[in-house]
Amino acid sequence: MSLAALADKTAAIFRRDLLTAFRYRSAFLLTAAGALTELAAFYYLSRAIGPGFRPEGLDYFSFLLIGTGFYTFLIMGIHSFLQTVQDAQHNGTFEVLMTTSTRPSVLVLLSALSAFSRNAAQMVLYLGVGLLVFNGALPRPGAGCVPVFLLSVLIAMAIGLMAAALQVAMQKGSAILWALGAGAWLFTGTLFPIATLPQPLRFAAELIPITHALHAMRMALLEGAATTTLSHEIGILAIFAFLLLPLGLATFSYSLTQARREGTLSCY
Amino acid sequence: MALIGANGSGKTTLLKLISTMLLPDQGQVIVNGSDTLRGPQRVRSSVGFAVAGERSFFPRLTARENLDFFAALDDVSTGQRKARIEFMLARTGLCDAADTLVMKFSAGMYQRLAIARALMKQPAVLLLDEPTRSLDPGVKADVWELVRELSAGGTTAVIATHSFQETAAVADSVAVLRRGELLDYREIKGLNAEDVGSLYFRGEWHAPMNDSEVVLEGCQ
Repeated sequence: MSLAALADKTAAIFRRDLLTAFRYRSAFLLTAAGALTELAAFYYLSRAIGPGFRPEGLDYFSFLLIGTGFYTFLIMGIHSFLQTVQDAQHNGTFEVLMTTSTRPSVLVLLSALSAFSRNAAQMVLYLGVGLLVFNGALPRPGAGCVPVFLLSVLIAMAIGLMAAALQVAMQKGSAILWALGAGAWLFTGTLFPIATLPQPLRFAAELIPITHALHAMRMALLEGAATTTLSHEIGILAIFAFLLLPLGLATFSYSLTQARREGTLSCY
Repeated sequence: MALIGANGSGKTTLLKLISTMLLPDQGQVIVNGSDTLRGPQRVRSSVGFAVAGERSFFPRLTARENLDFFAALDDVSTGQRKARIEFMLARTGLCDAADTLVMKFSAGMYQRLAIARALMKQPAVLLLDEPTRSLDPGVKADVWELVRELSAGGTTAVIATHSFQETAAVADSVAVLRRGELLDYREIKGLNAEDVGSLYFRGEWHAPMNDSEVVLEGCQ
């Protein structure tokens, strides 16, 4: 596929999603209101706990702001793959989309890219409101956040492809993702440092890529860590991305082929 | 070619197999020289499928926006896209509804939009699943005329239908299916709807096929 054709398809998918979002304005307003309420709750929680509690040496509200903002971005990114498949199954477009001249994996990746862009804009808005309205602080944002962000997105895409594969195969992907998301909320150090967890749970937390992504992003944004300082975390994220991406693509492709054989492509 | 047979005889399944929506457990489906298992993308590039049913569009996009979106995915060049959308909207009688959200469409309008979408990429093989089921007589005649034009231009059209009238109007051959098996395949050019109907009801479509391979110009 030529670059021009890829750009054309990307533009078509972004346009479709923007038009649909614009015509569902109430959903956007509800999401914004929900995020604002969440930030207010975290702000008052950190005030109630007091300035003495400094997880990983950081101000607790800033710890929460980066943790929940980036965690939500990654989880929503993963969910967007599943959502893409689920929405297409619900509105009946899935079978048709899977038989266009565009490869199914390219189509799902581009749809997710569109969702990631929307989520990134929401994250920037979330962090902006946290900083401006609730006096959060990013004292020394460092360049290390760039590779951490990119690798985290690759990992989220890989997990997202597996979630989409589950949706195609079992039509119950969202239930499984909800359970995993709830577990990740506990294990990844989003609300509190994983050092608080007992040793076996801490070991489990280390096996989840989001734990490393959140830790590295906090170090980059709140402590000004450069890429070299974060080389250990970046290395771990790179290994996760290298292993999970081919696995995600293969899983999605396999589940699509199976669904075509079994005639369950449009089932939901 | 028309596919006829009772409900559950496998007409839609056959169309789905040709379009790669389904993959065969055994045997081969070869479309325009490409195997649906080994070269599915090549098959998808040459097949346009107007699916039956109303749920295959983005409800919060207009007809024009839906066609534009699917045309981009089907590699219709940006230079040709606008003109082709306008042409297809005109051919399917949807010009007045082009900027209406698809969720406000009637069943017949969905049907026409599905045909327009299938034709956007100018496919070598056109699959139509009960294309005139919800259409009024005037539009029905327009669709038949369109199919005849496309066939004359070299497009292979395969139509799943329950209508003998439709079969006689557009098909030069017919395949009769029963419980997933090909019961008969024959030329019917020149027969009218009554002839087709009487052949069907007299049970004359029963010659067992020793060779299950049916070769059309575009697919076999």
